[in-house]
Amino acid sequence: MVSSEGSVLIVTEVDKNQEILPISLECVTAGKRLAEALGGGTVALIMGAGVGEAAKEMTHYGVDEVCLVDHPDLTAYQPELYVAAFLQVCERVNPRAILMGDTLTSIDMAPRVAFALNTGLVTDCVAVEVSDGEVSFVKPVYSSNVMAAYTFASEPYVVTLRSRAEEAAERQETADAGVTPVDVKLDAASVRTEVLQRVVEEDAGPKLTGADIIVSGGRGVGGPEGFEQLKELADLLHAAVGASRPPCDLGWAPPKSQVGQTGEKVAPSLYIAVGISGATQHIAGMQSSKKIVAINKDPKANIFKIADYGVIGRWEEVVPALREAVSEIRK
Amino acid sequence: MDIIVCIKQVPDPEGPQDCFVINPEALRVEPRGIPPVLSLFDENALEAALRIKDACRDQDVKITVVSAGKKLSNAVLQKALAVGADELVKVEDAAFESGALDSYATASILAAAIRKIGRYDLILAGRQAADWNAGQVGIGIARFLDIPAVTLVRKIEIQEGHALLERVTADGYEAVKTPLPALVVASNEVGEMRYPTMIQRREAKKKPIVAWGAADLGREGELRNKLVLKRLFPAEMRKGECMLVEGKTPAEAGRNLARRLSQDGLI
Repeated sequence: MVSSEGSVLIVTEVDKNQEILPISLECVTAGKRLAEALGGGTVALIMGAGVGEAAKEMTHYGVDEVCLVDHPDLTAYQPELYVAAFLQVCERVNPRAILMGDTLTSIDMAPRVAFALNTGLVTDCVAVEVSDGEVSFVKPVYSSNVMAAYTFASEPYVVTLRSRAEEAAERQETADAGVTPVDVKLDAASVRTEVLQRVVEEDAGPKLTGADIIVSGGRGVGGPEGFEQLKELADLLHAAVGASRPPCDLGWAPPKSQVGQTGEKVAPSLYIAVGISGATQHIAGMQSSKKIVAINKDPKANIFKIADYGVIGRWEEVVPALREAVSEIRK
Repeated sequence: MDIIVCIKQVPDPEGPQDCFVINPEALRVEPRGIPPVLSLFDENALEAALRIKDACRDQDVKITVVSAGKKLSNAVLQKALAVGADELVKVEDAAFESGALDSYATASILAAAIRKIGRYDLILAGRQAADWNAGQVGIGIARFLDIPAVTLVRKIEIQEGHALLERVTADGYEAVKTPLPALVVASNEVGEMRYPTMIQRREAKKKPIVAWGAADLGREGELRNKLVLKRLFPAEMRKGECMLVEGKTPAEAGRNLARRLSQDGLI
């Protein structure tokens, strides 16, 4: 039986190999701070089919309890079934706060959960602040020009946390928490929206999330051929290829490579921006990068204002020379 | 076939930071020197609706755009009519200021407006507003109207009584079938909205505009917010001390850049 009444419920997501996502461990860090302020415990929830091992692994990250919902109908995310299962867990745990990573799944699930529970939701939260016992949740608004701090007029608080806003909780050798299986009743026949097919589209190269180096192109790259050249540089650096919005809209780069407000928000060690002018919506997605390189022929381009290294020149000349020199250095 | 698209008027999100003037007492952002525009993501949603209209030329497809706010500009919203929407419903009230309404309140107001419009097979919304970026209103409307919702949709095909959708996932897409009426949240992957021609812009001025207030929806008084905005402050913009790497030619600069990054332990 779930023991931690009035606790912080942390929704843990796993990848295809049942590995816990880093963002979920970052939620644990924020969740513990939040639980302390609210005077309750932390409960990590894992939902899926065949996710028992992940639940066991989750007991090593310092949460008070791990709830496991293992059900054959939860193989892949289906909103109606996942939300139904989640609400049944909420009845048992009665959480004061629910934390999720700001992932593609929670973009869909978090609002459903919040509206079903008649409560509020702060999405894309970048800071959980506790001051004088009051907890507030900070998020960027107005294309990341302004920060807004919210409190809740209702409970539970529902919050999705942006990637890399917190350090990931560290794994401990000992597992303090136990795994509590929670039975849920699901009626797959009652589902209104039916998934007919799940299609995996080709996805060459490393993913943006978690990439240590990203080579990214903008409108200045001029076309799909330009992106092939960026890919060659990226391959040499074991980097992922990103893009600002225009190349994605124009079909030069796959939509999933979009970095920005509505694309991926990334924070690699090195971000190489090629032919990117630096529109606000793009900068919002990459300004947390540790170091930024800008290559652009326009010395007045906005991107130079936030870059650490800059080369003013046509990328068609700069990038091939850069690639060759990198290849020499790498030998 | 009746399609409703929810659209929001926002200050141009691409304006420089000093245009977003914060009034910390009133807890408001007061844009200076930037024009109001249609929220880009709502333009994605409207474009998705227009494509349905294009594909169903043999049918009578009516697109109604609905917008709620404190003070709405006909000039801005008429762009939606110019690209092909048939009617505009404005819901205006002094209390409906963008920052004063949270997603819960906004969704309940729009749901009330849609109920009053009455006829809908499909409701479209953008994935988030370009000002407060909450990304919840579409799902909220579906919840209040008790109809199915599908998010992050990049493609819509209407069939008899249902719609076939392509929903973006982390590694591809899902083909989803939903009965109608349904609410669909458009993904930005739908792409940019088409441009209206001069003639379309002129014609748009003849299209009907319906104006309602909070009282018409029975929504005077409480806003039903679930969140409390406590504080607004400027975001710290990253400041790079940009070191320009030079060379006699751009190629040499490229080689020097490789050397520099290597020396600094970055590659």
